[in-house]
Amino acid sequence: MFPQFRHTMAWLHTWFGLALGLVLMVVFFFGSLSVFDREIDRWAIPDTRYEPQPMPSFDRMLKPIFETVQPNAAERAAVAGLVDGPLPARFDTARSWGAYTTHRDPVLTLFVGYQVPNAKDHETAVWANRTIDPRSGVALPDDRLKIGSGFFYPLHYSLTIEWKQVGYWIVGFAALMMLMALVTGVIMHRKILRELFTFRPNKSAQRSMLDVHNLTGVAALPFHFFFAFTGLVIFAYVYFPVTHTQLAPLHDKHEQVEAKQTGLPHERAGSAAPMASVDAMVLEAQRRWAAKGMAGDVGYLNVQHVGDANGYVSIYRAGTDRVQLAGEGIHFKASTGTVLREDPPPTLVARINEFLTGLHLQHFRHWLLRWLYVLGGLAGCACIATGLFFFVEKRKRQHAKQGVSGARIVDALAVTTVTGMLVATLCMLVANRLLPDSMPAGWPWRGDMEKYCFWGAWLLASVHGLWRTAPVAQARLAPAWREQCLAIAALAVIAPLLNWITTGDHLARTIGAGYWPVAGADLFMLTGSVLALLAARKLQRRDALRAAAPAPMLEAGHA
Amino acid sequence: MTSNTLTRSHLTRSHIVARTALALLGGYVFTWGVIAAGTALMYGAGMAFHDAEHLSYIIGILVYLGAFLAGFAAHKLRRVALVLVGGGALLSAGAWLLQQQLV
Amino acid sequence: MHDALMLLAALLASLAGMGWLALSMDVHWTQARAAAPQPAVLVTTLRTLGAAALTLSLALCLAVDSPSIAVLVWCMTLAASTLTVAFTLTWRASVLGMLVFWTSQGAR
Repeated sequence: MFPQFRHTMAWLHTWFGLALGLVLMVVFFFGSLSVFDREIDRWAIPDTRYEPQPMPSFDRMLKPIFETVQPNAAERAAVAGLVDGPLPARFDTARSWGAYTTHRDPVLTLFVGYQVPNAKDHETAVWANRTIDPRSGVALPDDRLKIGSGFFYPLHYSLTIEWKQVGYWIVGFAALMMLMALVTGVIMHRKILRELFTFRPNKSAQRSMLDVHNLTGVAALPFHFFFAFTGLVIFAYVYFPVTHTQLAPLHDKHEQVEAKQTGLPHERAGSAAPMASVDAMVLEAQRRWAAKGMAGDVGYLNVQHVGDANGYVSIYRAGTDRVQLAGEGIHFKASTGTVLREDPPPTLVARINEFLTGLHLQHFRHWLLRWLYVLGGLAGCACIATGLFFFVEKRKRQHAKQGVSGARIVDALAVTTVTGMLVATLCMLVANRLLPDSMPAGWPWRGDMEKYCFWGAWLLASVHGLWRTAPVAQARLAPAWREQCLAIAALAVIAPLLNWITTGDHLARTIGAGYWPVAGADLFMLTGSVLALLAARKLQRRDALRAAAPAPMLEAGHA
Repeated sequence: MTSNTLTRSHLTRSHIVARTALALLGGYVFTWGVIAAGTALMYGAGMAFHDAEHLSYIIGILVYLGAFLAGFAAHKLRRVALVLVGGGALLSAGAWLLQQQLV
Repeated sequence: MHDALMLLAALLASLAGMGWLALSMDVHWTQARAAAPQPAVLVTTLRTLGAAALTLSLALCLAVDSPSIAVLVWCMTLAASTLTVAFTLTWRASVLGMLVFWTSQGAR
């Protein structure tokens, strides 16, 4: 685009980095929170504050529950447009039953995929799920939102915009731009190794912002690159649905070949058959894993073609000790319990793919690595945020002189996505503690109310940000930053306090009992409060010093 | 007369739009071609289907990154458009032909 | 407990490694050692020490976990160590001087 290659790379980094950086702040922040999504679920749903349990008896507990699971209104609505005619009141033919446990989740989630009669595409299924307490089989009330795994996590990979998967596409585009920003950033950064440890807070705002931007970007460069890359690999089938469109015939042929090779029938036989003891199958699977020297727990259990003569049960080992997700699948004939197939060791390509997806999806049991992941994610947030700050600092004097409001708008957007996002997150947790146990009739259910509080708080924070960044148009520091930092400091103390008041689980109790999911969440918020307070004070001091002469303008990418 | 490389004063909105479209959409077409051809070729050569698919995705994403950068870095707009869009179309056609043989 | 100690050792080795690599650079040497001149042979020593410490860190990670996890843990310790060394140089540079305790300090 420009005669000089480096100039083009810098232009791309600045402008696409700015535009998508706003989205990436959200992706990185909620990605960091998602490392501990199940722990946040425990904080949000006090009824589930007990220890993780092994997979309970399928025959005695899970099978009777599976038979009663039906899709709720939202799940029915998802397929309403895909049928000719009305949906039945009750779905009877279950394609599959699935259950999976993790070492971090006390509750167990059951999934059922039902055949949809009159569906336009015969592959269409309607999905239902239920969360139970595995100690008793009692279901979690439907209106409890799993704020971690059911909101923050989907926010991370799809911005919760499910309509035509638009949210997935926005996040995917942002991830591609993240890769671009990393490559162009390295190209722009002339002294990348020499300045690896450089941070000069005593120099101009622009210099110190750029130093932090470079430091947080380069120190965790492999992390940032691999997470953006593997995120795209995980959802590549959404962005490039080649094998369901252009190469669909090839895909279908492969499925038939595979069904013959593996002995796992692709279609139902059409004749009913009873189910043998799945508990016995689980024991056999565990015996075989132990015989291979990899004793383990069941991670994922699936029953395919439920109730049919062609039905089979697949049991996978939980991959807590390595990066790959579940593996070592063993498949049993559902009606007799005989072993149909033991999955062979994975191919090299399969192992590479499992490594890449597994390092992103994190089913492993390793607390240090999880916390290091959070550090990496927050470093990514710092990198993006300081990039935004640098953009504003560099241009605000120039824009003030020209009477242009570009820098002010970017600063307002930065307030929205940096501090505004934190305000919204904390408000949602506060609302979670303050809302009544079940909403009165006529009100949206509790989980929806929590979401409204999140989005409403974010909207308010962005309005406040727009209003209180006016001084940027005169090249001054926006008071919005300090004000929102103070709000965060307050909210991050109120939330743990409310946790104590409404559940009795104060820090002395949770730390004393070693119940780290809740203790960790409270401690994280309190630490955040201290940092927000320090930031607010620092901003106040900087504003007082601002009377001095303006700092010289720095070119990013020039020494 | 259009200039393909610019000074700041020539950075028109239409040029930026053209470059962005080329890099994003042209890059997408090229990547689709790489993934389709890669999947069909590797499966045809005996690799397991999902392995061929996943390896093509892994390579494809890196290809998309490169194509995006090339869309902006390349001096001649028309040439890189030809390579990305034309190349992508050719690769997709090749994949389709190969599929006819395999199915 | 044994695993936890090994991982702690890996973290510390990574930290020391990054510290030594930082100190092998003029500007950071000056920050940590208050303008004492840096002998040329010391630069090579520091780089070697740094590389060795990082390798030791990787070995410790591999002793605790399966290779696929160990590699990730090690990479992330490098990130944590780089950030720690950078912030230490900014605010408590003389602390890094501990890593080169056998050299003399400059006049303050």
